[in-house]
Amino acid sequence: METKLLKSSDVPTLFDNLIKSGKVIIAPVTRQSGKVFFERVYSYDQVEKDYIQTQFSAKSVVFPKVEELFAFRKTDDGVDIKDTLSSIPETVVWGIRPCDSSAFNYISEFFLRENPDAYFAKRKELTTLIAIGCAKSDDACFCTSVDLNPGSTAGSDILLTQMGDSFYVEVVTEKGNSIVSESASLFTATPEKSKDNYLAKPTTKFSVDEIAKKIKTAYNNTQWKHESMGCYSCGACAFACPTCTCFDIQDEGNSEEGVRKRCWDACGLSLFTKHNSGHNPRKNQTERRRQRLMHKFKYSVENLGIISCVGCGRCIRVCPAHLNIFENILNVTKED
Amino acid sequence: MEQLQNKVAELLEKGTISLMIGFQTGLCNDPVPCFIESASQISQLIYNSHCKHNLAVYLHKPEVKQAKKVGIFGNIATLRSILQLLSENQLWDLELTIITINASQELIVFDSIASVEQYIQTNFPELTDEEKELIEKINAMSRQERWTYWKDLFSTCIKCYACRAVCPMCYCTQCTVECNQPQWIKVSSETSGNFEWHTMRAMHLAGRCINCGECGRICPVGIPVHLLTAKMNLDIKKEFGARSGISSSNGYALNTFNPNDKDGFIK
Repeated sequence: METKLLKSSDVPTLFDNLIKSGKVIIAPVTRQSGKVFFERVYSYDQVEKDYIQTQFSAKSVVFPKVEELFAFRKTDDGVDIKDTLSSIPETVVWGIRPCDSSAFNYISEFFLRENPDAYFAKRKELTTLIAIGCAKSDDACFCTSVDLNPGSTAGSDILLTQMGDSFYVEVVTEKGNSIVSESASLFTATPEKSKDNYLAKPTTKFSVDEIAKKIKTAYNNTQWKHESMGCYSCGACAFACPTCTCFDIQDEGNSEEGVRKRCWDACGLSLFTKHNSGHNPRKNQTERRRQRLMHKFKYSVENLGIISCVGCGRCIRVCPAHLNIFENILNVTKED
Repeated sequence: MEQLQNKVAELLEKGTISLMIGFQTGLCNDPVPCFIESASQISQLIYNSHCKHNLAVYLHKPEVKQAKKVGIFGNIATLRSILQLLSENQLWDLELTIITINASQELIVFDSIASVEQYIQTNFPELTDEEKELIEKINAMSRQERWTYWKDLFSTCIKCYACRAVCPMCYCTQCTVECNQPQWIKVSSETSGNFEWHTMRAMHLAGRCINCGECGRICPVGIPVHLLTAKMNLDIKKEFGARSGISSSNGYALNTFNPNDKDGFIK
């Protein structure tokens, strides 16, 4: 992997170059509520620099909360179909955290392994991730428990780590390389360095291998009920999560014209599994919470070979009851 | 704290309650709801002024209904919700034991609903200065400004329905947004549908909302959605003189008829 140095004072110039390239730039922005969200920005001034984690992940860049798949309109001699694939823009995500970047690897497997999803594939192809390693973490962060760390390069195209008055730049992919080449004069070559002293050290809550082994037999653990009691049954955790991929297809319009949309959904919402007959195979919140956690640590391992929790801690921060995923997991994998 | 823990242990032991809903310490010392079923869990129970969650919402949970004999820690929001829910005939299937700690740090186990009503009479919470200020700010806006203010906020709503989930008064078994024959409100999250959702919810809560502010506090995108129902309550107070969550027997303003009601709106 190629490594370089970038002076902090040159970052605004690099950013300006990105904006001038005509790509859509998504970066962390502090809204009036004081919470930080990924939003489209038009200048470096808008970008929030001091944040531990954004409220929601950057998954919406490749898997929008509402995605128009196509629009149709009846005409005199047939049906007009408006394809939306061609309007997907080239996008750069700035300031994504390493945990979020690695989540892109998981959702890519989900959408692309079998029957590749054309919309996701196109968005993924046109998206470049410029990650910034975490100098700070909080009590909800637990990336080191799921085999990641605040300096992981997995999933990123470029990883920046602030070291004093410069950024240490790891150019991970060809896409990352083309961004660096476009502003080549700003970067100086440097040998590989240790980033450890500049990165946060979140506490490790569990050994992922041990959890992966124990959770295989956790389905009937009586602790699930207690761990799920506080769950209010909303979709906040799933919508904030970088790896939750549940969706719902909706047709809006009438028989003359309409739109087909793919919308975020959540396995924690009772309607998600409710049948037309009224029967609900996951009839209570205990079963729904268990599904969410078992999916992250067991089912996704069985289906795709990847643990689908990246330890970003968002579900803990946004949960109205502050349900704690790593405590839940530890408690349901204890001997019953 | 010890007093509270001892009392709950005693109630569990005597069989007066089989489940206690209270608070425990979560991450960053933030209090979170907890569910105590045995003496071994008692030490988790805490109470301090940061225990703001409205625990009454859990009284609708099937797992709580199953426990039947339920103890609940009542901060003011929870107590008012319990009164409002009783007036709406929603808690008939529970044997409730309600505990609180008053401003002088005394433990109170309410012996009757009448004593809860009395307690609320003397501890009725007013809107916070911050809430009053925001409501005044919105009141002072022109119609167009107000429309834009809410439109901008609602455009960020992601329809996670956390506002509905944390609300003790949102107990419908099937919410309007879950009806799809016909589809009253779009499933997808976009400004007009989000506007419809929040307007519909505010209308359903008019005069029933007990101003706990939970929906605004927990909104993951930070929409002060509680202001809608808080404003509704101010209007209902003005027009009908009625307040929610103070009595277990009165119906709420929009569900009762009083010959003395003002009817100036009928033209």
